[in-house]
Amino acid sequence: MGVIEDSAMLDDSLQGSEGIDKQFLAAPVKSAVDKFQLLPEFLKVRGLVKQHLESFNYFVRTEIKKIVRANDLVTSRFDPSVYLRYKDVWIGKPSVVVDGVTDSLTPQKCRLSDMTYAAPIFVNIEYCNGSHGHNTHPQFKKDVVIGRMPIMLRSSSCVLYGKDEDELAKLGECPLDPGGYFVVKGNEKVILIQEQLSKNRIIIDTDKKGCIQASVMSSTEMTKSKTIIRMEKEKVYLVLNAFTSKVPIMLVMKAMGMETDQEVVQMLGRDPQYATLLLPSIEDCASIGIYTQQQALDFLEKKRKKSMSRFGKDEGALGVLRDIFIPNIRVRDNNFHLKCVYVVVMLRRMMDAILNKDAMDDKDYIGNKRLELSGQLLALLFEDLFKSMNDQLKFNVDKILAKPSRSSRFDVSQHLLKDSITVGLERSLSTGNWDVSRFKMHRKGMTQIVTRLSFIGAFGSMTKISPQFEKSRKVSGPRALQPSQWGMLCPCDTPEGEACGLVKNLALMTHVTTDEEEGPIISLCTCFGVEDLSLLSGEELHSPSSYLIILNGLILGKHRRPQRFAKVMRELRRAGKVGDFVSIYVNEKQRCVYIASDGGRVCRPLVIADNGISRIKEHHMRELKDGVRNFDSFLREGLIEYLDVNEENNALIALYEGEATHETTHIEIEPFTILGACAGLIPFPHHNQSPRNTYQCAMGKQAMGNIAYNQLCRMDTLIYLLVYPQRPLLTTRTIELVGYDKLGAGQNATVAVMSYSGYDIEDAIVMNKSSLDRGFGRCIVMKKISAAFQKYDNTSDQFSSPRRSQHDAEKTQILDNDGLASPGEIIRHQDIYFQKECPVDPKGSMKSHPSQTPYRTSKQTYKGAEGETAVVDRVALCSDKRNNLTVKFMVRHTRRPEVGDKFSSRHGQKGVCGTIVQQEDFPFSERGICPDLIMNPHGFPSRMTVGKMIELLGSKAGVSCGRFHYGSAFGEPSGHADKVEDISETLVKHGFCYNGKDFLYSGITGMPLQAYIFMGPIYYQKLKHMVLDKMHARGMGPRQLITRQPTEGRSRNGGLRVGEMERDCLIAYGTSNLIYERLMISSDPFEVQVCRKCGLLGYINYQSKTRVCSTCKNGDNISSMKLPYACKLLFQELQSMNIVPRLTLAD
Amino acid sequence: MEGASYQRFPKVKIRELKDDYAKFELRETDASMANALRRVMIAEVPTIAIDLVEIEVNSSVLNDEFIAHRLGLIPLTSERAMSMRFSRDCDACDGDGQCEFCSVEFHLRAKCINDQTLDVTSKDLYSSDHTVVPVDFSDTGSGFENNEDQRGITIVKLRKGQELRLRAIARKGIGKDHAKWSPAATVTFMYEPEIHINEEMMETLSLEEKTSVVESSPTKVFGINPHTQQVEVVDREAYTYDDEVLKKVEAMGKPGLVEIYAKEDSFIFTVESTGAVKASQLVLNAIEVLKQKLDAVRLSEDTVEADDQFGELGAHMRGG
Repeated sequence: MGVIEDSAMLDDSLQGSEGIDKQFLAAPVKSAVDKFQLLPEFLKVRGLVKQHLESFNYFVRTEIKKIVRANDLVTSRFDPSVYLRYKDVWIGKPSVVVDGVTDSLTPQKCRLSDMTYAAPIFVNIEYCNGSHGHNTHPQFKKDVVIGRMPIMLRSSSCVLYGKDEDELAKLGECPLDPGGYFVVKGNEKVILIQEQLSKNRIIIDTDKKGCIQASVMSSTEMTKSKTIIRMEKEKVYLVLNAFTSKVPIMLVMKAMGMETDQEVVQMLGRDPQYATLLLPSIEDCASIGIYTQQQALDFLEKKRKKSMSRFGKDEGALGVLRDIFIPNIRVRDNNFHLKCVYVVVMLRRMMDAILNKDAMDDKDYIGNKRLELSGQLLALLFEDLFKSMNDQLKFNVDKILAKPSRSSRFDVSQHLLKDSITVGLERSLSTGNWDVSRFKMHRKGMTQIVTRLSFIGAFGSMTKISPQFEKSRKVSGPRALQPSQWGMLCPCDTPEGEACGLVKNLALMTHVTTDEEEGPIISLCTCFGVEDLSLLSGEELHSPSSYLIILNGLILGKHRRPQRFAKVMRELRRAGKVGDFVSIYVNEKQRCVYIASDGGRVCRPLVIADNGISRIKEHHMRELKDGVRNFDSFLREGLIEYLDVNEENNALIALYEGEATHETTHIEIEPFTILGACAGLIPFPHHNQSPRNTYQCAMGKQAMGNIAYNQLCRMDTLIYLLVYPQRPLLTTRTIELVGYDKLGAGQNATVAVMSYSGYDIEDAIVMNKSSLDRGFGRCIVMKKISAAFQKYDNTSDQFSSPRRSQHDAEKTQILDNDGLASPGEIIRHQDIYFQKECPVDPKGSMKSHPSQTPYRTSKQTYKGAEGETAVVDRVALCSDKRNNLTVKFMVRHTRRPEVGDKFSSRHGQKGVCGTIVQQEDFPFSERGICPDLIMNPHGFPSRMTVGKMIELLGSKAGVSCGRFHYGSAFGEPSGHADKVEDISETLVKHGFCYNGKDFLYSGITGMPLQAYIFMGPIYYQKLKHMVLDKMHARGMGPRQLITRQPTEGRSRNGGLRVGEMERDCLIAYGTSNLIYERLMISSDPFEVQVCRKCGLLGYINYQSKTRVCSTCKNGDNISSMKLPYACKLLFQELQSMNIVPRLTLAD
Repeated sequence: MEGASYQRFPKVKIRELKDDYAKFELRETDASMANALRRVMIAEVPTIAIDLVEIEVNSSVLNDEFIAHRLGLIPLTSERAMSMRFSRDCDACDGDGQCEFCSVEFHLRAKCINDQTLDVTSKDLYSSDHTVVPVDFSDTGSGFENNEDQRGITIVKLRKGQELRLRAIARKGIGKDHAKWSPAATVTFMYEPEIHINEEMMETLSLEEKTSVVESSPTKVFGINPHTQQVEVVDREAYTYDDEVLKKVEAMGKPGLVEIYAKEDSFIFTVESTGAVKASQLVLNAIEVLKQKLDAVRLSEDTVEADDQFGELGAHMRGG
């Protein structure tokens, strides 16, 4: 009946549409309201890495309390009156205890002195020391520290929370830094977002053999398990880890108390198709002769793995069915009805898939995925560590209580260990290994060091999503661009190579949800007419007149008017009565209404439209501009709402207001938000060939420029900076939103697109020497070198002042009297920058007076490029964990571009500098404009980077008229990108040709060039790959110890290998002497003595100056010859394995 | 000097002359001559620029190399440069380049003592030689806003407590070695265009068509005489050889309506100086340098040196 009404409503609306049509015509023309202003407002409220912060805040505020509440009691095994109960838990302010004094921490301080930015975890405890003491009343203690929790920067527990720009500057922090990472032992670590398949949801797919199966990954606070129901050879089986083999499903149903087959078939639905599909399984079950629950349980008991009893608490097969088999469906009072229903729903969905392949679930569909964020991952870790700590506490208390006589007064609270949690969290964060054996979780590479190569690179690591699969899998499905990614994950930003398409990045407006209470939603649902499942008969379960209501994978019941129900729920959400991020999704195909309130769903804000008319009006935006409104008020008033991927399927979203029709339910805020922060830097990306944008996303992270406002106060291992970074002439809205215009990574170069000199083939660029002289592409490379003063048992390293008269006085020139290089000194290759006195015998006799211990000087020499001079920028002294004094030197090297340095525009067009040419040889226009670099036009046809050409035009117009032009993605209709037509007009107005081409003269001859040259400014990035760091050649040099062949690699001053293929070429060419020379003379020649008789190697006895064969015991038949040493080594190694290689000599 | 003489006598007509700007015509010569002059002006007219910086105290935000680079790029008045010696062939000071014949010493001492940021500018550079000082833009009256705040070229900004103290040595050099020694900001020339309007054909056009012809040029080359309604050349030199008018005329089906040629023997030069040398002096110096270079070629013409220096070209020059 409900359905009938629904369709009536639909009819109503259809008729209504005809009726409204007249009104529509009469209504004023829909003005496109500029909703862009919402974006900065959104980012102000949520920040760019809001997902991390929100997740961490949720953990700190809610989840940690839940965890502690769930495990709040520790009782002794021997004396139940001895207990400890956690009353409350909270995280304090970041601080560190040094020598008993609590010192507050700031992130910058931690970075500089290799500390962990962490805050104490406080608990209030109630405990009782048992009947032994006279005191049996519970005792209380407040503010007990149980460990230290690393704090995410900018989270609610961080000192930076809510600080304005000035206050941040005082704390040494960059106001543009997004936060969202941790500082662990001085390293900035970010927990990567983990992509996973949804938990507690039925997923229909096929296994390796092509059998259709329904699987559920169940995850509750207690257990995690995977349940699979599979159709194999027409029979349905249950596959569960707790059973040794697959189990017929009907048997399981019987074991759960559903003894009659009819009941199952009834629940499955009236349609005979389903019954037919189930028939073989029913027959199968009957053929084994199992008819009752007890028989079934006995059968299952035999199949049960005995080792799995930990969770089942050894209650037999029934225990397994209760606690391991789909544990997300709770069993109360051994009533398995709900579980049976769930199994039947799984069966039904599986059979739907068999009957109709379309009903299969797509594993790659974003709606079937959940993103695990730092908060959730830390919660897992914390839970494990907290439980381990309690176990340890219990163990220790039991040990003491077990002793017959105790000397001192016993106090439970004294046995709380605070190190295990601190150390555990710190270790996991710094290594990235999550080993939680309790949840069978062993994952590696969960954390990453924040890339501080460029400002945008740091953003990249914060939005990166690491995949669930191993990268080696050769499937294309998960790598392909999913339509459901729209607006949620950036379609451009993914690495090339093996992780292509698997590693993704969040889009600009994406929000990732956190868990929300289910209780209120369940009661709301019942209020709105959801019929409880336990009140329904089996027949009604799949009756065609109503829909199933499923909340987070839990079947709540049925509803007769699903559309009405969904509408009401959505209205409640818009009114703020239900959480903003609760999604209501009506799946007509499955006849289900899915309500989701779980964490890890991706969602994004959209403007709500009624009958295609946006709820946001001009005056709303005006109020926003006046500061009367903010993003939250839009949300609260129901103008904007968050939709997750599933609910988007119920919405019709118009890109622009003008395109909205009657059916439109939502309107996009801004189309360019489908891109992420990295892709947002590209001007006119919608004019480029798609892979080019992907390349740029990878290269933007390697571009040099400004890192942060505090870049000169940082002590990172490697910093690349540009001397004169600029903001791009052609900007995008994203650039302004993320702050790239303030911390740019490139320079606006005047580029002439022409061929010049032949040194510009294969994407090489020709650079103007005068531009380089004036500072174009000049960069600063800063490297950190550390040195430490070690402490030993009795002695420690000492400062040492250099003796200036020594033979190496020249090398110690830059040292101060304390043996440390002084800042500002020029440092060259092989210079000594650090010198200390080490005790000769560090273990040292304990008795001797410190002044008598002998010392020796130990030096550290600088290894830089030969012939290059660097400068000691800063010297910092700090104490490390073990209270040793460490010295950090920052060595600065300023470089100007040279031939071979890598540059790139913002369109994935990288190239090396091919040659550097004097300015007077460069072409010039009659206005006197001379390009900074020349790019070969062959770079364009195959790359199809039209965006770059438009960038050139736009920048040229920009410099002429003095206004920054815009090139936001898809921005032309909304005015966030300038149109080529308008740009041309500007150009013409300023005396340029509309097509951006100029009439140039050759600088060499002074004659006009044959063609008009496309010339204008393009934003160029200097990439971190520089010749100076890579160039390598060697003549003579070090050799490996065992083979005596030259070493490998630039860092070891190694040789260049003539490999297999090179050798093949030489053989084919027939230059045998060259091969001989390369493979032996220049590699590892060795003279050996060979016995002609036995063919084995002999030796020269240098004392008697005779040659001896050790096998023949004489020196009669010895000849000497040359061999590669590796060959001699092989012979000897073979001999050691009882294989005798014999040399037979000719002549 | 056998063979026909191609000697010509170029003429120069000065159009506009300011301290740092010159516009002149160079007639009756060819592109090689004009280009040689341009190239010499950019790369080979010597000036004086800071080449060596010794930093005593630098607590500013910019690092030493950064400041040194900025100092180098400050133009210094270099009228003396032509007569000065290159420090590499200065015999008064064994090439260490610190004597009065080949170098000028500068000092800079700045410290910020109050809460306001202090701009250290080129005015804070104290020269040991009053003829070589940082170029002062405020009194040239050359397009720069002549306001009171104009304190020269900013080197670095200091906040309270920061200090910069250094000694700098300026030397003579040429633009070929480093752009800081280039006295020219802009040196460019164009071929003088010759524009012919076919009056007869023009008569056949309507006023609308005439305006469309006029407006087809991105620069204001043509205009319509308000009295005679005739298309006239307003500014010949505004023409940028963009061919737009020709294309327009072609599209109108009237080829030959307008014809534009480049005069191959007449050039219009625009020279802007950095201020190191006056623009007029820059041109003269360039001619001087060019002459010296030619002398060097002529001197070694007959000698064996020529063979070393020019190889086959030397023999060729001797008429071989």
